[in-house]
Amino acid sequence: MAAEELRILTRHLGAPGVTGLPGYEAVGGYRSLRRALGMTPEAITAEVKASGLRGRGGAAFPTATKWGFLPQDVFPRYLCVNADESEPGCFKDRVLLEELPHQLLEGTLIAAVALQASHAFLYVRGEYRAPRELLDRCVAEAYRAGYAGQGVAGSRFGCELVVHGGAGAYICGEETALLDSLEGLRGQPRLKPPFPAVRGLYGQPTVVNNVETLSNLPYIIEHGGAAYAALGTEASPGTRLFCVSGHVERPGTFEVPMGHTTFRDLIALAGGVRTGHVLKAMQPGGGSMQVLGPEHLDLALDFKAVADAGSSLGAGALVVMDETTCMVDVSMRLVDFYHHESCGKCVPCREGTYFESRLMHRLEAGLASADELLTLADICEHMEGRCFCPLGDTATWFVMSAYRRFADEFRAHCGAGCCPVRAAAEAAA
Amino acid sequence: MSAAPSPPPELVTLTVDGRAVSVPAGTLVWDACEKAGVFVPVYCAHKKMDPVAVCRMCLIEVGTMPKLQPACATVVQAGMEVRTATDRVQRFRQGNMEFLLLNHPLDCPVCDRGGECDLQDFAQRYGPPRSRTAITGKVHFDKARPLSDRIMLDQERCILCWRCVRYCDEITGDRAIVLQERAVHTVVDTFEGRPLTGPFQGNLPEVCPVGALTHTAYRFRSRPWDLQRTPSVCPGCSYGCTVGIDSRDNAVVRFVSQDNPDVDDSWLCDRGRYGFPELNRQDRVLTAELSLEGPVRAVGALEAVGAAARALAGVLERHDPDQVACLGTPQMTNEEAFCLQWLGRDVIGTPHLDHQLEPWPDLAPDEFRLAIRELEDCDTVVVLGERPEAATPVLTLRLYKAERKRGRQVLRIAADADPTELAGRVRDRGRVGVVAHEADRDRARAVATALAAANGSVHRLTLTEGMNGRGCKDLGLLPGLGPGYRRLDRAGMHGRAILAAAAEGRLRALVVVGPNPEMEQDPAYEAAIARVPLVVALTPVRGLLSRHAQALLPGRTMAEKQGTVTSSEGRVQRIRVALQPRIGAPPPELRLLVELGRSLGGTWESAPLATPAFDVICDAVPAYRGTRGGLRAAWPGTGGAA
Ligand SMILES: Cc1cc2nc3c(=O)[nH]c(=O)nc-3n(C[C@H](O)[C@H](O)[C@H](O)COP(=O)(O)O)c2cc1C
Ligand code: SF4
Ligand code: SF4
Ligand code: FES
Repeated sequence: MAAEELRILTRHLGAPGVTGLPGYEAVGGYRSLRRALGMTPEAITAEVKASGLRGRGGAAFPTATKWGFLPQDVFPRYLCVNADESEPGCFKDRVLLEELPHQLLEGTLIAAVALQASHAFLYVRGEYRAPRELLDRCVAEAYRAGYAGQGVAGSRFGCELVVHGGAGAYICGEETALLDSLEGLRGQPRLKPPFPAVRGLYGQPTVVNNVETLSNLPYIIEHGGAAYAALGTEASPGTRLFCVSGHVERPGTFEVPMGHTTFRDLIALAGGVRTGHVLKAMQPGGGSMQVLGPEHLDLALDFKAVADAGSSLGAGALVVMDETTCMVDVSMRLVDFYHHESCGKCVPCREGTYFESRLMHRLEAGLASADELLTLADICEHMEGRCFCPLGDTATWFVMSAYRRFADEFRAHCGAGCCPVRAAAEAAA
Repeated sequence: MSAAPSPPPELVTLTVDGRAVSVPAGTLVWDACEKAGVFVPVYCAHKKMDPVAVCRMCLIEVGTMPKLQPACATVVQAGMEVRTATDRVQRFRQGNMEFLLLNHPLDCPVCDRGGECDLQDFAQRYGPPRSRTAITGKVHFDKARPLSDRIMLDQERCILCWRCVRYCDEITGDRAIVLQERAVHTVVDTFEGRPLTGPFQGNLPEVCPVGALTHTAYRFRSRPWDLQRTPSVCPGCSYGCTVGIDSRDNAVVRFVSQDNPDVDDSWLCDRGRYGFPELNRQDRVLTAELSLEGPVRAVGALEAVGAAARALAGVLERHDPDQVACLGTPQMTNEEAFCLQWLGRDVIGTPHLDHQLEPWPDLAPDEFRLAIRELEDCDTVVVLGERPEAATPVLTLRLYKAERKRGRQVLRIAADADPTELAGRVRDRGRVGVVAHEADRDRARAVATALAAANGSVHRLTLTEGMNGRGCKDLGLLPGLGPGYRRLDRAGMHGRAILAAAAEGRLRALVVVGPNPEMEQDPAYEAAIARVPLVVALTPVRGLLSRHAQALLPGRTMAEKQGTVTSSEGRVQRIRVALQPRIGAPPPELRLLVELGRSLGGTWESAPLATPAFDVICDAVPAYRGTRGGLRAAWPGTGGAA
């Protein structure tokens, strides 16, 4: 099958003036919201359930199921839109924020109707300044047009929209850290239970959903859950945005139907591995996920297939690495990222990422001994599954999977006095 | 007042390392392990704080759960299988200790906590045999950073257990300590770097599991194995907080808190905790001194007692006993107070005896009915003015707990607020507690009456001045009220009237036990004492009394004697000898008082020692009978012992 995009979520991308309200209404925007306002909350949730939509924030949790966890009759309830997108290699929420902001607001309001939420808070990554300013303008437009505030679109339902800028911490994308950050506290994950659905923002029942998750709702309400589900496969319904970056000819964001598309297709959409080079490794899901190799090229973009291969689709990214890449170097950079972003709450992550980072720098410089490789494995063993939140786990996944797959390359660094991969590349040049 | 009976909690049975244990539903695995006799190491968990599960030290295996679970934050379930000693758990503990030590300065030799540090202890017990950390280098932070004049912070030694932060959040509510920065650069510090100002700072080093927070007053003073610990009661006020008195070379070097959930809940206030230098005072009365005839002469204590008795007998031969008075102090033990009222009332025959300045002719035990712990069970606690919390500071923490953890209403009102307007401010009808200082007891009574009309169940807690002001009252060191608040026919003068009579030259003799800080601060005191021809004084420290007494008897500080004291809520607790008297030191005060009475012809029924004297008290005041072991006296009609 030829590599092809299937534009559902991005169907209006590039339409004239679509980032403004009139342009968005011109392509049928906010019709789904009006329709949703005529439905019962249960009916909306039932459509979402039929669509099989799973969270696009990384954990792939079924969206309708998550909504169903809200306790009956406890009000007010809140919806939080997770636009903290900070995963290395991920930039798909940014596309939706910058190109289709009203689609996100419409999806947000549909979810608010389904959840009977009185407020929706849009938590935007601190560094996303331009998208936040655009969102501010769009929210103002939505208020002026009566889509937000008291009496949404002439109905009796009211929902306030609040845009909040983060302060630049990866951990604030974790949903409970996001809630603390929104409340003005240090952005650090909360102890669970209670889960946000029961006691979330300001102690009230709260749902946190990703930008892409919510942006799917207008389509689902317009065309029905079944139509959406039919786009992918049964296990991985719908389409999904993938950010392809690294050693490809045309990095970018591509929308493809899940399950029917392979990694090879995705790389082809991005123009293939850069000319004259061959694929060495790829990392799906963003910086957190385990490395895959050329033998996985024909794997379908399917939750289960990728999980079986020992990795995950995570937040929808694909970092492509060719034969010039030093896997120790990449591991070091990713470890440094987690070391920098660890919130410092729990011991194994706070100290473990520091330990990892120190070791990786020695290893990449060719200064580490073979024993230190064993130490590295030990550190990761004591971190994975022992940290307070998944950040600490994921700080071990790439480096450990790279170590397993490229053990010789790791070992070659020990005592080499320099990075052997770089030395070889320099010698060849 | 007793708490509304709550239904017995449902029991859940689980196994810990194969041992079955039953605990109430809702218990944390950590507590269940403790009940099963299995030790689980913790750093962040604290019995008085909500779990945060940040240190990960307590991770254990639970059933078939794939991940290790934090014992400190996991709630028990029926049939749960907890395993704490598996290879996986032990390997992880070793790994986690390695993490904890990675950026720790390892400066145990100069750390005040050396020898009583959970980091040292668990490193020994669970840590890796060898260090692999030489390769990493350490992240450095501030050492010896004063957070106030009382507390030092060493940020390098901090393991970021969050206890100090949660203490300021959950226990005092002042949020004075916060976390700064993130990742491995995270540190604790005061909010905006402002110095700590709260009255409960001394608890911080105690909640800190390592040597990061230390007492300025204990800096470089000792190692724990050089200390002797004596369980006792804090002499700082009448709240009755339990303390350990740590002494070295026969001097007190610190007070440590002991957890009595009924009283202190494991906290001390700084006034009490850091008041210990008073017990090391050098300006002591170490021998008896007589100046009955001619210049001052140092003599043996018992010889001085004999001389004092002869002088008193001489006065009584020539004058009516009415012209003699006895003044005690709320710092006396129950045994001493009871003995002094025996000496004054029964032996000398004077009705003029007191332990404080102000008169309380109509005092009744029900003014003390509410127990400290029961404050948490009151729907509303009304606090009259600032004096209760000023007098007994740890009360503030109990009130905050009632508010924060139990959701109760704490209504702080001006002491002179109009009681009739109060009923509308009480949130729900229900159990109401009224807390007042003894100086405001008339107002408290008016408030209680007004609220009882609107609310039904109202009980009072009256806070007395001085460590044992309550005991002095219970045991009749009051004019007109005998032991057990027995109303007497003969009225007598209260403290202030005694001083006035003395100043007017109407008193021939005065028996005084000191020190009495309240009286000594009164400008009339010295002039009054100076005018009495015969002053027999018993006091441990030099001062006003030692200057004006004709017969000066050496007393002991509370760290040098034993006996019982009664707290404001009526809890009778033991104090014990923490500093051993020197060889040849004079006998304890109780003995001197008994001998004085006997020399004057009185009959004291028991040996002149604290324990038999307490039996004498129990015979005279039946409410004290069931108090052994630190229980509350059970006054007729005021609810049972608790
Ligand atoms: C360390 C960490 C970072 C995360 N960052 C993000 C993020 O940037 N954006 C996001 O949508 N979800 C992020 N998540 C996932 C959220 O916790 C949460 O699962 C998600 O927002 C739920 O939305 P969804 O159900 O729509 O996927 C992160 C999770 C972790 C553990
Ligand atoms: S694993 Fe621990 S330190 Fe790391 S981000 Fe999560 S809570 Fe913070
Ligand atoms: S200073 Fe002590 S109590 Fe506070 S976080 Fe550090 S180790 Fe814990
Ligand atoms: S004691 Fe359980 S995580 Fe710290």
